[in-house]
Amino acid sequence: MEKKYIHSVVRITNNQLMHNGELLLTRSAEDSSWPVEMYRGLHLQYPKFFKMDNLCKVGFLAAELAMKDVGVSPETEKPDFSVLLLNSTSSLDNDISYQQTIADETNYFPSPAVFVYTLANIVTGEIAIRHKIKGETSFYIQEKFSPATLSDVAELGFMPHKGIREMLIGWVDFLEDKCDVLLFRISVNPENSISEWTDEEVSRWYEAGVQKK
Amino acid sequence: MAKRVVITGVGIVSAIGVGKEAHLRALMKGESGVGKISYLQTKHTDIPVGEVKMSDEEMKLLLGIASESVITRTPLMGKIALKEAMQDSGITDASRVAFINGTTVGGMEKSEKYYMDFFEGKNTDYIAAHDCGAGTEMIAETFGKFDFVTTLSTACSSAVNSIIMGGDLIRSGRVEAAIVGGAESLSKFHLNGFNTLMILDRKVCNPFDAQRNGLNLGEGAAYIVLESEESAKARNANILCELKGYGNACDAFHQTASSPTGEGAYLAMKKALEDAGLNPEQIDYVNAHGTGTGNNDLCESVSIQRLFGEKIPHFSSTKSLTGHATSAAGGIEAVISILALLNDFVPGCCQFQSPIEETGLMPVKDCLKNVDLQNVMNNSFGFGGNDSSCIFSKIR
Amino acid sequence: MDSLILELKEEIIKSLNLEEMTPEDIDSDAPLFGEGLGLDSIDALELIVLMERNYGIKLANASEGKSIFQSVRVMAEYISKNRTK
Repeated sequence: MEKKYIHSVVRITNNQLMHNGELLLTRSAEDSSWPVEMYRGLHLQYPKFFKMDNLCKVGFLAAELAMKDVGVSPETEKPDFSVLLLNSTSSLDNDISYQQTIADETNYFPSPAVFVYTLANIVTGEIAIRHKIKGETSFYIQEKFSPATLSDVAELGFMPHKGIREMLIGWVDFLEDKCDVLLFRISVNPENSISEWTDEEVSRWYEAGVQKK
Repeated sequence: MAKRVVITGVGIVSAIGVGKEAHLRALMKGESGVGKISYLQTKHTDIPVGEVKMSDEEMKLLLGIASESVITRTPLMGKIALKEAMQDSGITDASRVAFINGTTVGGMEKSEKYYMDFFEGKNTDYIAAHDCGAGTEMIAETFGKFDFVTTLSTACSSAVNSIIMGGDLIRSGRVEAAIVGGAESLSKFHLNGFNTLMILDRKVCNPFDAQRNGLNLGEGAAYIVLESEESAKARNANILCELKGYGNACDAFHQTASSPTGEGAYLAMKKALEDAGLNPEQIDYVNAHGTGTGNNDLCESVSIQRLFGEKIPHFSSTKSLTGHATSAAGGIEAVISILALLNDFVPGCCQFQSPIEETGLMPVKDCLKNVDLQNVMNNSFGFGGNDSSCIFSKIR
Repeated sequence: MDSLILELKEEIIKSLNLEEMTPEDIDSDAPLFGEGLGLDSIDALELIVLMERNYGIKLANASEGKSIFQSVRVMAEYISKNRTK
């Protein structure tokens, strides 16, 4: 098994945003829109952000930070990059929004723009569009966060026939204001890495967010 | 050296029948299973769909499941297809086998049916059955305990991505065998959604035709049993063919629309060819994604032209027969591709009349028989720009 | 017509989530798609829903939108001629 290394790690919980262990933002109020607050707090300029559902919004924000020090601009085509994500609630948060547009027969105006986001893997697509990532994209649904599954997915993602050099991999979950994101940028190159990618490290970064709640 | 991955069994349920024999017959005759909605309760009765021609009750009866048991339509179809695939392969012990299920809509058709009941505390057992993962578990439990079970959800390319994951697991030596594919039932939820995207044809869809006017949704389930060659040989299994190569790429263009250059599709097919160690001219048939929408069929045609140049292989979309079974589509079409390969025929785009002006590509219209097929390619593309392609080859 | 144009701009901003825009930012005669506001095919479908919900205008085919969504002014003219509510 080839060694892999963590180059960037982003943790988003219900009320905190952390990048490589540094606390960047804390939610100002319980009733604020946390994804929008983070977008403004990070001073981003990407108008399409406001069209996204919450799952895409938090995935997009995590990817912005994880790709910050990648050394090439978002516009550079990245054929040897992949985006592999997992969660447990799929796109349920947005499914509920969509259901509300078709539930009432007397006020029946199903929204195409909401429907588009009733697919969990759209978040991998949004990240790929933003960073011109042309390698593998995939989305898995697991009962709960598990470092071992992440490790399996990374292992397969780096199999030689795929020609992947670097990947965004992690857990991106959002349901009814409960946000649980842990996104890594990893590669097989140890240079400038934070640490080796091991189950213990993955757990440590995940727990770091849980404890600070 | 990566292990060689072979196929030792297939199982399939779709609008054109239950089981591979039924599919073989319908494909050869070009019989479409697309028609008026009769099982899904909806007021959109003017939208034709490819329904599996069995009620939940009939499926329960076939499977020997008690009529009152809580199970949604997706796992019912999944169980039928999985049973056939397992029997076909002769695998009886699931403990060394992975099960990877592609699905996206989950138990939606029951959640929407019982939605108001839930508030009154009725039929609440179906809430837990809503999850995509719950459906996978219900299918998996038919055969005891699998070594590894996961749900893959990448919209309409889910099932081919599950084939890719299974191939990877076997090549890397992680498992000896993997049952891969997908299952998806129609729901009002996504019927309405596709309807608002204004891409549903009011007639039987007509992929790759200049006059194509959208897709027909379908449903079903299909699985293939992937196995390392050693494992298959060691247990004297009947090896059907080989999973020669595969690839996935991201179009990175738009959430739903394909790029005009067909970049993602082109990259996926190119990767699959490279992975298989084949040249484009060695592909004898492409079972295209070919949904029948203006955008997909044009972009896929462009990508086919980019990859194959002047020598376009036989290609067709079988979605005018089965409908577009979303997450299950890639599995259904993988089994169809394998049936075509093993029986040397090319199923047709039965509705086809005139080629798309921009490309002039001519798909196979009527089923071609007695064609010598060595390598067939199966394309499956999903929203999110998620494009996949895999290649099945005869073992010589 | 001017009040309908303003109303439309506000509705477009709301239903297409053009969060950081105001009606003043939208030129009544500029193309809505491509160069102009940079809208895409999903936005076009959302505008079709907007026309049905607010003005009772039902388009049978997405391609009909092309000529109607040339600019906010063209859209307003079409609505004032065809509205049922």
